[in-house]
Amino acid sequence: MKTMSNMNIYLQDISRGIVRDNPTFRLVLGMCPTLAVTVYLINGLGMGLSTAVVLICSNVVISALRRYIPDQVRIPCYIVIIATFVTVVEMLLKAFQPKLYAALGVFIPLIVVNCIILGRAEAFAGKKPVLRSLFDGIGIGLGFTVSLFILSALREVIGSGTFLADTAYAVHVFGESFEPMAVFSQPAGAFIALGLLLGLTNVIFKKLKID
Amino acid sequence: MRNILRLTLTLAAVSIFSAVILAVVNSWTEPIIAERQLQDYLESVRLYFPDVADFEEKELEGNLFDLVYDDSGNLIGVIGKNLEYSGYGGPVVYTLAVDQSAAIVGYNIVSHSETPGLGDIITKPEFHDRFVGKTLEELDTVDTVSGATVSTSAIIGAIRGMTEAIAKAFLDYEEEVIDITQVPDGTYRGEGTGLKPMAVEVTVEAGRIVKIEVVEQDETPTYFVLSYPLIADRIIETQSLDVDTATGATFSATGIVNCVKDALTKALEQGGGEESEDDE
Repeated sequence: MKTMSNMNIYLQDISRGIVRDNPTFRLVLGMCPTLAVTVYLINGLGMGLSTAVVLICSNVVISALRRYIPDQVRIPCYIVIIATFVTVVEMLLKAFQPKLYAALGVFIPLIVVNCIILGRAEAFAGKKPVLRSLFDGIGIGLGFTVSLFILSALREVIGSGTFLADTAYAVHVFGESFEPMAVFSQPAGAFIALGLLLGLTNVIFKKLKID
Repeated sequence: MRNILRLTLTLAAVSIFSAVILAVVNSWTEPIIAERQLQDYLESVRLYFPDVADFEEKELEGNLFDLVYDDSGNLIGVIGKNLEYSGYGGPVVYTLAVDQSAAIVGYNIVSHSETPGLGDIITKPEFHDRFVGKTLEELDTVDTVSGATVSTSAIIGAIRGMTEAIAKAFLDYEEEVIDITQVPDGTYRGEGTGLKPMAVEVTVEAGRIVKIEVVEQDETPTYFVLSYPLIADRIIETQSLDVDTATGATFSATGIVNCVKDALTKALEQGGGEESEDDE
């Protein structure tokens, strides 16, 4: 029975990260990379997964070390740990996904200061046990990835008229001759798309009576 | 006191932990990244030299060059990287590829500040293609573009100078020197191009140039008088074609020098001119 309820807590941690505490649409955290890299779906996915990997790793390590890190120096310690994993992800991308690395550019090193990660370290991993922090990392990471997926899919389809461009599965959604609404691949379009999606989630959450 | 020590040690421990992880991952990914960058570079070299198998970096007068080799280790060309010259609007950075016979394979403008719509023709294929296949000597015949004379003559001059430097440094290139003393007596006709096509008659006596006469020309009269007879006198005086062409009419002067070179080259090839006068 006890394991059953434990399992439930973990599953709740994951679903909470994706839905109720969705970092983009509910907490509205980490807006810089969200707005900047979501021009193409593959970039959005890459950014989301990279952030998720860093978040999961840093959550676990920070939670494991939480009893040994004194309060006064916890922020520098968190930042060093996060920066370590970001650099690891950066090196791995450079070695195995150079195209994605080139597309994401400066936003990979900037994951270090992504407030989602430091926010989870402060609010969750620094206080909760390792396993729960792991599932919280998975949940929030997936939530961020799903948000970027939706946002970048919307922007790519409307702004460039393509789906999964730069991959083997590239599709011209409305045919080659379609003239896309280029503003959606511009920064202004990023704000418009994000605003529409934020409004939509608010309406849906109100309808479903989710707090 | 104990507290400060604890804070310091914690931070130090976290940093060491971080350094170890980074060192391990770096030693794993570094060779992969280096290999990938090498492949990317070879890919860009392949645009110029499809047979590239290997290259070797050399430095010359502050510029970096890659000597490009094929499968069997033969030098097939040279690529100059991040070369710079001064264009109309400021410095122009370019890449230059020259094959083993000192002919231009191509160039690529990396950055420039020439006038959009005029000087930036140097980045366009229609201008670039004027250079392709041109040997060092033929580079003099690349035309400038009116409206962008400064920009285009600057790049022609830069590429010619750089090709000559590459040829001399890496390609065992030797400029053909005409030995005037070997030319039989006679009067020889030679053709070349100043601003427009021109022709000269060169008279050689006892292995010396004694007279240079321009017989055909359509140069701008006010400039032509600056170059001739001054340049002819210089050639006769030094008995050399390696003369200073700075006369105020450089194009005409260079044209005359090339005509004389042409005349003497033909004379040597024929072992005596058709118009030779000593056959009686």
